[in-house]
Amino acid sequence: MANLKLQNLYKMYDQGNGKKDGVYAVNNLNLEIEDGTFLGILGPSGCGKSTTLRMIAGLEEITKGEIAIGDMVINDIHPKERKIGLAFEDYALYPPLSVYNNIAFCLKANKVDKKEIDQRVRKIAKTMKVEELLDAKVEGLSGGQKQRVNIARALVRNPRILLLDEPLSHLDGKMRQILRGEIKRLHKEIKCTTILVTHDQMEALSLADHIAIMKLGVLQQYGTPDEIYNDPVNIFVADFIGEPPMNLLPVTVQKADGGFCFLLLDGTRIKAPAKFHSILEDGQQYTMGIRPTSIVIADEKDYDAQFTVDVFENLGDERIISIRILEDFLTIVIEDMLVFQKGSRIYVKMKEDLLYLFDRETGERVREQGQRNGG
Amino acid sequence: MYQNKSRFAKVLGIASTVFLVIYTIFSVFPLIWMVIISFKSDVDMFKTLFIFKPTLDNFRNVLTTGNYVKAFGDNFIICSGAVLVSVIVGVPAAYALARYNFKRKETVAFTILSFKFAPEILIIIPLFAIFQKLHLYDTYFGMIWIYQFIGLPLLIWVLRGYFEDIPVEMERAAELDGYSWFEVFFKMLIPLIRPGLVAAALLTFIFCWNNFTFGLMLCGFNIQTITVSALTYIATDTIHYGQMAVASLIAIAPEIVLCLCIQKHLVRGLSFGAVKG
Amino acid sequence: MARIRLDHVTKKYGSITALKDVSIDVKDNEFYVIFGPAGAGKTSVLNLIAGISDPEEGDILFDDAYMNYVEPRERDVAMVFENYALYPHKTVYENIASSMRTKKYRQPEEVVDREVKRVAAMMNISELLERKPTQASNGQRQRIALGRALVRNPNVFLMDEPLAHLDAKLRNSMRKELKSMQEAFHTTTIYVTHDYTEAMSLGDRIAVIHEGSICQVGTGNEVYYLPETEFVAKLFGDCEINILKGCVTEEKGRTGIRLPYGEEVYPVPDDVGERLQCAGVKDVDIGFRGWAIDYSREPRKGYVRGKIYTHEPLGNKVELTVSLGDDMIRFIVHVDERFEIDEAIYLHFNMDKGIFFHSETKEYLVRHNEEVMRGGGKNG
Repeated sequence: MANLKLQNLYKMYDQGNGKKDGVYAVNNLNLEIEDGTFLGILGPSGCGKSTTLRMIAGLEEITKGEIAIGDMVINDIHPKERKIGLAFEDYALYPPLSVYNNIAFCLKANKVDKKEIDQRVRKIAKTMKVEELLDAKVEGLSGGQKQRVNIARALVRNPRILLLDEPLSHLDGKMRQILRGEIKRLHKEIKCTTILVTHDQMEALSLADHIAIMKLGVLQQYGTPDEIYNDPVNIFVADFIGEPPMNLLPVTVQKADGGFCFLLLDGTRIKAPAKFHSILEDGQQYTMGIRPTSIVIADEKDYDAQFTVDVFENLGDERIISIRILEDFLTIVIEDMLVFQKGSRIYVKMKEDLLYLFDRETGERVREQGQRNGG
Repeated sequence: MYQNKSRFAKVLGIASTVFLVIYTIFSVFPLIWMVIISFKSDVDMFKTLFIFKPTLDNFRNVLTTGNYVKAFGDNFIICSGAVLVSVIVGVPAAYALARYNFKRKETVAFTILSFKFAPEILIIIPLFAIFQKLHLYDTYFGMIWIYQFIGLPLLIWVLRGYFEDIPVEMERAAELDGYSWFEVFFKMLIPLIRPGLVAAALLTFIFCWNNFTFGLMLCGFNIQTITVSALTYIATDTIHYGQMAVASLIAIAPEIVLCLCIQKHLVRGLSFGAVKG
Repeated sequence: MARIRLDHVTKKYGSITALKDVSIDVKDNEFYVIFGPAGAGKTSVLNLIAGISDPEEGDILFDDAYMNYVEPRERDVAMVFENYALYPHKTVYENIASSMRTKKYRQPEEVVDREVKRVAAMMNISELLERKPTQASNGQRQRIALGRALVRNPNVFLMDEPLAHLDAKLRNSMRKELKSMQEAFHTTTIYVTHDYTEAMSLGDRIAVIHEGSICQVGTGNEVYYLPETEFVAKLFGDCEINILKGCVTEEKGRTGIRLPYGEEVYPVPDDVGERLQCAGVKDVDIGFRGWAIDYSREPRKGYVRGKIYTHEPLGNKVELTVSLGDDMIRFIVHVDERFEIDEAIYLHFNMDKGIFFHSETKEYLVRHNEEVMRGGGKNG
């Protein structure tokens, strides 16, 4: 067992006539994944996450760069010999076979001893909680059961790395939640390096110990879920992570008595946190980011900004206050059992350390001095 | 491993190209041959020559003597009539099969399609008797009536697919907007099935145009179809291959023109549904 | 504008009964949400009101006019369909204008033009007017479909899951747009959804429907805080409500609850105790929502020991699943603490926050501070 290393990895697809189409599906990807890590590769469709996974599995040719496990480069090793278990989103089970034979299939193909097959299949079936289903045919199974069998099949060959491609996206809400928990427990139990590809940020946040966010083939940020959530490096990451999404509003810096404030498009003023004072200048333009949960209700004695409520929604678990800023909404999520009427005035404070500034042009994070760089 | 794969692919590519070229020549050759003999004089007819003195005698003969021109016109009348009847009957039938649920719906639909399974020759004797008794023999009405069966099953099946692709909610939305059922049908549905309708009607026309059995058995004196008309060049003593070739060539001309004009329509119409995305 | 009533309506499709004896009464100008899981019969209700199908039994009334068997186009209703049902061969402009160009609702072309432009501006699709719907994105199509309905001034707007096909972000913002537009509708609206956040956010009242019958009609606060059955309680909330079995005890005149996880007796507030005594029940089901459970990482008095089954960090909160006896308890923790699988954790059930149900009928009994809950909390 050893670390998985992706080095300067590129992928460009053929157009079909031998010519490359000129667009990198994966563009200079560098990742080092420690043994036993649960990595989530997250991004919108077309970001290159599945391509990366398929290159690791050996299903896709590598255009440039290296994939290595420990010191061994595996670029030219046949998929069969890479010792990688792969579970696709759409199950891809063999329908005429029983669950048992589905799980045992690759062991049989490799002419493993019968007794050993039986032992291994039963052990993995127990782990994945499909023991009672071993004799059943695949067709009759529910989506959740199929995905369990699918993962069991990937695990039975004792892979060095387990690859999961959107394993939960075909399941409905409740089943998805249950299997999410199971996968989390499974990883703790078998400690196998696992790579999960998903477009669902909730899934990545809840399962992975490390997350790589990609956009158009380029890695945006690599870090723990906490870093990704609380310390985004650019607007893309900030916007992609979090539900409801982060408020991202264009602001102009204005000098105010003793400090600065941010001027929103509709003229509303927000007091700028002291931590930014050293980098701010009158007239600068930024995009300000703050999560709906980082804004708290205050009173008229001490507040950072005041707004007029446009929409108030009580969703039971939480309450959402929306404030219209021209075409957009500024959203505030509160936990307290408070009720606001449309048109009422509210005073809020911003959680200072969770207020971010981004460059209007490049979308890159603008950091106050002395703050750590990168996640 | 990957190098081997690409070399193998290259060889496979060349082999398949060669095969396809041979296959194309094989299938197109009869047509080319027909064009060639239509310009040959009777003298050269049986020689396998590609270089000869071309003549337009065959064309002159076919177009000036005999009743080929009338047969062409007859064929046109019958086929257009048949297509018209097919559309008038077929569009509502397809709509009903797509939208309404009734007992044995699938049986009815399949029965319609199964009209295409039986060879025409199987029913030609009883049809002949019926035509005689009903005085339909050798009449335009009789010919149109029988010809519309040729394309109708195809038309119904293609259009049924089109109607099924239109979400029923769209009709409901139009009704709630205040349109009457007929307005919904003509303003909303017909424009949406138009590509399929054109394609199916065109194919129906071609199938009718090419039909031989009905034209041979159910008419012949007042009315003659061109497929049958081409046969008249088989005289008792000799076969005028050149004139026959010309007759065939003229016969397929309208089809080629039609197909070229609406080629795009045809492929799109038969392969896609009405509402995409 | 009209009051819409269904009076003891039954609708069958062949041998399947889609709606069983359903009665609803939608007030004039009300925003009424019909909420339920897939296949509950939500769309059937809309179809009956629109006249797309007719009931086997029961009456449909618009104000006091009897509407059974009246043709859809005579009912003057506007509907937004789940799949939008736009006319693909017409431009966006023509789509929106279509109702004003029919014989029944015809308007002079100047009016059509003015109205189409007004609605397009309101829905923010002015720049799309000359395009075909197929050239619009999903979110835009949805707004076109809304626009086509809003351009009219009908008896009632019917909306069938209009946001279901949008992605999460767009759905969130469209929900707010709809909410802020609500006042501009000036018409009775009946809105069908399976998303509880839409129901709670938009509905003046919500009718919860299940297997063709109405389970409860009430405001968002009522269905969330005071659900009439356990089934309704389970439908609302992101983290499904935990239902615990409890046993009612009485000691020195004070009512308490014993849970199957130990000998601990949890005191109940007086208003709850009184009602439980009145009802004379021995066994109750108690519902605790995901944010209504207290925990500690150290043993404490009144806390029961459980084991963390999984923990799912979701940014600013963690969803914990704890195995406790034979049950799995799922709740939300709002801190940046780290948890380990199989670690011990101690839970406390504050009966002030529980919703009490009858253990057999699964029907609502009582909860603490009913009247405050009905209002949804104190004014901010």
